[in-house]
Amino acid sequence: MRILLAEDDPDLSRQLKQALADADYAVDHAPDGEEAHFLGDTEPYDAVILDLGLPKIDGVSVLERWRRDGKQIPVLILTARGAWSEKVAGFDAGADDYLTKPFHTEELLARLRALLRRSAGHAAATLSCGGLRLDPRAARASVNGEPLRLTSLEYRLLHYLMMHQGRVISRTELVEHLYDQDFDRDSNTIEVFVGRVRKKIGAERIETVRGLGYRLIPLEGEAAETA
Amino acid sequence: MTPSSIRRPSLQRRLVLLAAVWSVVILAVSGLLQIALFRQASIMRFDDDLRGDAQSLFTYTTVDPQGQVYAPPMTDPGAQAAYSGDYWEIAEPAPGRLHALVRSRSLWDSELSGPPEGAKGLQVHPGEAGMVFYDTVGPQHEPLRASAMLTYLPGRATPVIFMTAEDVTPVLTSSNLFTVETVIGLIVLGAGLILLVFIQVRVGLGPLFALQKEVADVRVGKADRVVGDYPSELEPLAAELNALVAHDREVVERQRTHVGNLAHALKTPLSVMLAEAERDPGPLADTVERQAEAMRDHVDHHLRRARAAARSQAPRERTAVAPVLEELSHALERIFRDQAVTIDWRCPETLFFQGERQDLLEMLGNVLENACKFSKRRVRADAEATTPGRLVVVVEDDGPGLPGEQRAEVFKRGERLDETAPGTGLGLSIVEELARAYGGAATLGDSSLGGLRVTLDLPRAES
Repeated sequence: MRILLAEDDPDLSRQLKQALADADYAVDHAPDGEEAHFLGDTEPYDAVILDLGLPKIDGVSVLERWRRDGKQIPVLILTARGAWSEKVAGFDAGADDYLTKPFHTEELLARLRALLRRSAGHAAATLSCGGLRLDPRAARASVNGEPLRLTSLEYRLLHYLMMHQGRVISRTELVEHLYDQDFDRDSNTIEVFVGRVRKKIGAERIETVRGLGYRLIPLEGEAAETA
Repeated sequence: MTPSSIRRPSLQRRLVLLAAVWSVVILAVSGLLQIALFRQASIMRFDDDLRGDAQSLFTYTTVDPQGQVYAPPMTDPGAQAAYSGDYWEIAEPAPGRLHALVRSRSLWDSELSGPPEGAKGLQVHPGEAGMVFYDTVGPQHEPLRASAMLTYLPGRATPVIFMTAEDVTPVLTSSNLFTVETVIGLIVLGAGLILLVFIQVRVGLGPLFALQKEVADVRVGKADRVVGDYPSELEPLAAELNALVAHDREVVERQRTHVGNLAHALKTPLSVMLAEAERDPGPLADTVERQAEAMRDHVDHHLRRARAAARSQAPRERTAVAPVLEELSHALERIFRDQAVTIDWRCPETLFFQGERQDLLEMLGNVLENACKFSKRRVRADAEATTPGRLVVVVEDDGPGLPGEQRAEVFKRGERLDETAPGTGLGLSIVEELARAYGGAATLGDSSLGGLRVTLDLPRAES
């Protein structure tokens, strides 16, 4: 397993490198954002530990660039500020987990293990419908290369529609597949989520078939593209 | 409002009061003048009549060879009826008083009083040119206007005095009526003028009121800056206000950046100390670890206070609630992916929090994170407007919940209820502090899902 550690503090870098090496990871170190971006772009890492307060290019920008280029490496961000505004910005940019400084090395290693385990999980093919793409392994979706920010229920809805694209799916069917046993099965709330997803991917992509349900369709001129 | 601005009347009031004062003065002066002129004109007309009466009396008065004076048989019926208010008298000056020679029947056996100066005044200018007019009182105590002239009659050596008098009541009545009408008219005119002045001031100061409204909008976060098109007198003020707002924002932003930099600068060394201590266990390592954690808590505490100070200077932001809930749900579902937590949130698009986005993120982030930590798989967040100016966000989870006696402990700083759940345990005390800083509250209850219900009551901005 090969890890990229992007951290500017020399002492912390040295300690983390040591701890990671002791846990049998191969570690590359980048002391600034520029080098981190370059290394992440060129080398096949299994995971990245990314400090948000990097010199030259900040961590969020580095992450955004990777995600825009379609890189799906799992990324654990380290933040010193610990404010939710910063965490949210990190997750918006495509982070998979975060850790607030100061932290115990043990916790970092545990998080890293969880991250690697998840990304190694059963690989599934990327789904696509026109310019819409969904990667079930990373649980990410994008429209024309722009990453989408979806909450869990929205993601499930889109996933289901993409798996059955072109077919009309009734509300009842959606409710059954979106919610587990414990949820109140109120089919009206489906409209709320369809509305939210439409706003993010473009309203025309989800067609309402009156009295029957919904259907995901590619936009005109996009139909030729397939996964 | 400062005490001096309470004492100082508003511009509008000053302008209206000033205009009211001068219009009242001008109207009062012109009113008095009109009344005086009217009265004078009426009296002059009355005097002319008296003069005419005196002339005809003089023309037809005869004197017999013995010097006896005979008045003409008067055709005026008014002078025949007793105390009719229409009187005449021909008298001769006697020492100290006048001695009536002939008088109208209407006088019966009373006499007319002579002019206040007596006969002497009349002797200066005998004849019609020296006729004097004066006010006196009649036999019935009615107010009289009288004329008197001293003249010589052909065939009589000593002069006689012709006096005519008439009740002046009708003139006084019409003059009083005129006064009342004039006063009423002027009051109506004055009220109209003041109303017009008020309208003029409102319209004239209109841009000022518009500016005031815009500044209020900027203050509560409805607008970013003052954008209206103002007359040349106000334009510099609007520009200055915008510069001030921009500067204020910059200062707050700079302060926040400083605070963040401080956190970064302190926390990385703390991480180093912690990691170093972990590598080499022992009593020293334990001390270092405890102290490093205490330092982190202190830093967090003071950072929050610094942020609160920055916030109190800039209360003009407003933040849409729905996007904040969405971003947090997205982040938290990723953080708690292994537990497969689903956050089901509902919020109207038009709901706005009156305050900073960072603070709303901080409060909801901590509440939701806490809910995710303890939930089995399900977290619900409902945000809605309650009373005007207030909103609530209710966050519930399906976890084990919290017994009543432990709830009070949750909001204490640094208290950690469950050591098995990750995190510092500071989460909910930060929420409570922030909510209180906004004049709101955080309360705990039981959720219908089985776990804890946290209710945040916060100020709401108009959409």
